Amino acid sequence: MGPAIETAALTRRFGDFTAVREVALRVEGGQFYGFLGPNGACKLTIIKMLTGVLAPSSGSIRILGQDLTTSSAELKRQIGVVPEGMALFGRLTAREYLRFVGRMYGLDRDTTGQRTEELLEFMNLAGEDKKLVTDFSHGMQKKLALAAAVIHGPRVLFLDEPFEGVDAVAAGTLKAMLQRMTAHGVTIFLTSHVLEIVERLCTHIGVIHRGELVAQGSLEELRAGALKPSPPPRPGEELLTREAPGSRTLEQVFLEIVGTERDGSTGARAPEELSWLR
Amino acid sequence: MVEIETEPHRRTIPASAQLGAVAWLRWRMFVNSLRSRQAGGRKVGGLILAIVLRLILWPVFALWVIGPVFGAGYVAWSAIDGHKPLWLLALLAGICFLWQFIAINGSNIAASMPTFEPSSLLRFPVPFGRYVLLRSVLGLLTPSTVVGSLALLASAVGIGIAEPRLALMALLALGLYALMNIYLARMIGIWLERLLAGRRTREIFGGLLAIAIVSFQFLQLGRPKHTHESWIIDATMRSAQAMRWLPPGFAADAILGRGGLLAQFGNLLLLGAWAAVFLAGFTYRLHKQYLGEHLSDGVNNSPATARTQHRSVAEPARKRVGSIAAAERPSVPPGVLPAMLRKEWLTMRGNTGQLIGLVTPLIFVWIMSRGLFGHHPAYMLPGAVGYAILTPMAAVYNIFGPEGPGIQLYLLAPVRMRDVLLAKNIASTALLSAEAALAWLITVKASTTPIPAATQLGTLLWLVFVLAINLALGTLRSIQSPRKFMPGQTRQVRSAPTSRTSALLVLAVVTASLMLQIPVTRLSRNLHQPWLGVWIFGGLAIAGLAGYVVLLSNVDTLVQRNRDVLEKELCGV
Repeated sequence: MGPAIETAALTRRFGDFTAVREVALRVEGGQFYGFLGPNGACKLTIIKMLTGVLAPSSGSIRILGQDLTTSSAELKRQIGVVPEGMALFGRLTAREYLRFVGRMYGLDRDTTGQRTEELLEFMNLAGEDKKLVTDFSHGMQKKLALAAAVIHGPRVLFLDEPFEGVDAVAAGTLKAMLQRMTAHGVTIFLTSHVLEIVERLCTHIGVIHRGELVAQGSLEELRAGALKPSPPPRPGEELLTREAPGSRTLEQVFLEIVGTERDGSTGARAPEELSWLR
Repeated sequence: MVEIETEPHRRTIPASAQLGAVAWLRWRMFVNSLRSRQAGGRKVGGLILAIVLRLILWPVFALWVIGPVFGAGYVAWSAIDGHKPLWLLALLAGICFLWQFIAINGSNIAASMPTFEPSSLLRFPVPFGRYVLLRSVLGLLTPSTVVGSLALLASAVGIGIAEPRLALMALLALGLYALMNIYLARMIGIWLERLLAGRRTREIFGGLLAIAIVSFQFLQLGRPKHTHESWIIDATMRSAQAMRWLPPGFAADAILGRGGLLAQFGNLLLLGAWAAVFLAGFTYRLHKQYLGEHLSDGVNNSPATARTQHRSVAEPARKRVGSIAAAERPSVPPGVLPAMLRKEWLTMRGNTGQLIGLVTPLIFVWIMSRGLFGHHPAYMLPGAVGYAILTPMAAVYNIFGPEGPGIQLYLLAPVRMRDVLLAKNIASTALLSAEAALAWLITVKASTTPIPAATQLGTLLWLVFVLAINLALGTLRSIQSPRKFMPGQTRQVRSAPTSRTSALLVLAVVTASLMLQIPVTRLSRNLHQPWLGVWIFGGLAIAGLAGYVVLLSNVDTLVQRNRDVLEKELCGV
C-alpha cells in the first residue's frame, strides 16, 4: 500500500507571514497518524490544505497517489473530514443532515437511509428526532459531525479533536470504530491535544511547530529519540530528560521537541515566575 | 457494531443526486425554520406581540414588492402607448440599478435569516461546473431577484398590453435582461466579498452604503425648480446615447425593434454577451474559491494567533498583579463598573461599522430640518432627536448579543449583573446622548426661527423619559430574548443586532413617545402654557427613571431566571 497522504515542500503564506514552511508529510495507507503541535502551530491550516479547503502557496499535495489540485472533486469523495467548527446545518435534524451528506457523497437513497439509521443508532442519536442540530449539546454535535464524516466510507479520514466533549462511553465505541476502520485500510489523520489518546490510538506521529514539521515517524522511533537530537536540559525539567529514551511517554517526547526554543532556551515561563504564585 | 464499508468510488456522482440533495436541504431548512425553538416556553403575551407586529410588518413587505412591480408595468405601458421610447430605457436602467443596489444590501438581510453559506458546499465532492450551477440557482429567491424579475415580468405585460405584437420579443428580451441582472448581481456580490474580506474595510463599506441609502431617498430634492420631472429621469434621457451600448439599451432596442429583425436579434445577442461577461466574472471568482482561496479574515486568525503567540512567549511579563496571599478576595470585586465601561469603550472603538452607522441618521436630520420640519420648530426638535436615536437604540434591546459565548464570564464571575448591565447602559446612553446632541445642534442651526427655551427643555426631559423607558424595556428584552450576533460580519453569521420583534418594539416605543409630543404641544398652545410640556415630560422622565431603577435592582434575579435562555441563545451553534 502506497502513501495515502504525501506533501512536498508544502508552504502557505498569509501576506508576508509564512504560516506553513516546506512541510513534507508522508502518511502510509492504513496508518493511524497523530498530528501534534502546540496551539498556533498551524495544524488546522495544514488540514485545510490537505482537504482542499485552502490552497497552498507552493508545494504539492498527493492524496491516495493523486494530485489534490487537479482531481479535487474525485479525491474529496474519498476523504472524510470533520470541518472547522463542525460546519453543521443547524436548522436540520440529525437524520436530515446525515441523509443530505450521504446524497452529496453520491450514495444512493437506500444506502444513505440504511447508513443514516445505523450511524444514528451507533452514535446514540436515534432518539433525538424532534431536535434540530442547533439545539444539540456540543458532544452530540461532535458525534453527528463524526457520523457525517464517515457515512460515505472514506479512505482517508481527517479528525480534529474528535473526542472533545464526547462522553466516555461514546468515546470508547468511537475509538473502536476508528481502529476497525484502519484495519480495513482506512488512513486516519488525527489531531488532538490529549496526548494519551494519540499514544493509545496512533501508530505514527508527526509533530509541527511554528509551521515546520519538526519530527515524523513511528511512535517507537519517536520514543527512542531517533528522530530528533535531545535538546539541552531545561531548568526545572530534569525529570523529563533523565529517563531512558525508550521508556518515555509521548507527552515527554512532545514537550522535549516543542517545549524548547530552537536556540535551546526555554520557551514557556516557569510557574514560579507568576507573581501571584510565588 | 456497525461496520463502515469503504466505497469503490468509480462511478461519478449523478448531478441529479447532488442538485436534488441541495434542493431538499433548502426545503428542509425552510420547513424547520417555521418550527419555533421557544414554542414551548414562550409566554402568551410575547406570542401575541409577535403576531401583532408581524401583521403590521407583512403588508409593508408586500407593498415593497407590489409597488415596484405595478410601477414598472405602468411605466412600460406608458412608454409604448405614449410613444416615449426613452422612458423604456430609463425604466430598464432604473430596474437594473435598484436590482443591484438591493442585492448588495440584501446580503445583510440574508445574513439575518436562518440560511447557510453556499461555499460550505465546497467540502463535498462537487465538480466545478455543478458548483457554478448550484451557486447560480441558490439565492434566486432573494428580495432583489424576486422584485426585479417580477418588475421585468410586469414590464413585459405592460408592453404586451400597449402593443401586443411586441409581447413575445419583450418577454424574450426581458428574460435575458433578468438573467444578465442575476449574473451582474452575483458578480458584484462575489467580488465585493473578495474586496471586503477585511473586517475594517467591510465595516467602512457598510457605513458608506447606509449613508448612500439615506441620501438616495433625497436625490429628488436636488431637482431644479423650473422643471416638474425628476432629474434622475432627466439624466437618464441625456445619457441615453451612451446607454445604447449597455444592457438596458440593447434590451430596449430589441423590444422596440429598431433596425429590423436582424438588428433585433443582434441586440439580443449583445445582451446575451453582457450576461456572459458577468457570468465569466462570477465564474472566475468561484473557481478561485473552488481551488481553496484564502478569503476571509477568519482564516487569518490561526496564523495571526501564532504570530502573537510567538511574540508573547519571548516577551517577559512586566507587570506584577499581586499575590493571592497578599490580596484578600472580596465576595464582589470592586471596579467592575470601570472595567466594564473600559471594555464597552474598546468594543465600541473597534466597531467602525457602528460608528459610521451613527452618521446616517444625522444626514437624514440635516435633510429633514431643511425640508419638511424646517418651519415647525415645536415638532422639529423632538422629531429630529427621536429619529437620530432610533437606529442606535435598537442595540439596547439585545445588549448581550455581541458578547456571544462571552456571557458565560458574567454568569461565572463573582459580579453583580446589575453592575454589568449598568455599565452597558451607561455606554449606550453616552452614545445615544452624543447622537441626540449632534441632532440637536443640527436642528438648532438649521431652524429658520429660534426654538423656544420651553420647547428645548421639554424635549430634553422627553429624551430622558424615552431613554429611561427604552433602557428598561431593552434590558428586559436583552435578558428574555437574547440573540447572538457578530458586528461587521455580512455572511455566515446572523448580523442583525436585534430580532425583528425587538426592532419593531423599539420603533413602536419611540414612535409612540414621539406621538405624545403632538397632544402635549397642542394642549400647551391652547392653554397658553408654554411650560406645560416641561412639567408633563418632567413627570414622565421621573417615572421612567424610577421604572428603570426598579428593574435594575431586580436584574440579578431576572438573569438567574433566564440563565438557560441566555446560555442557549448566545453560546449555541
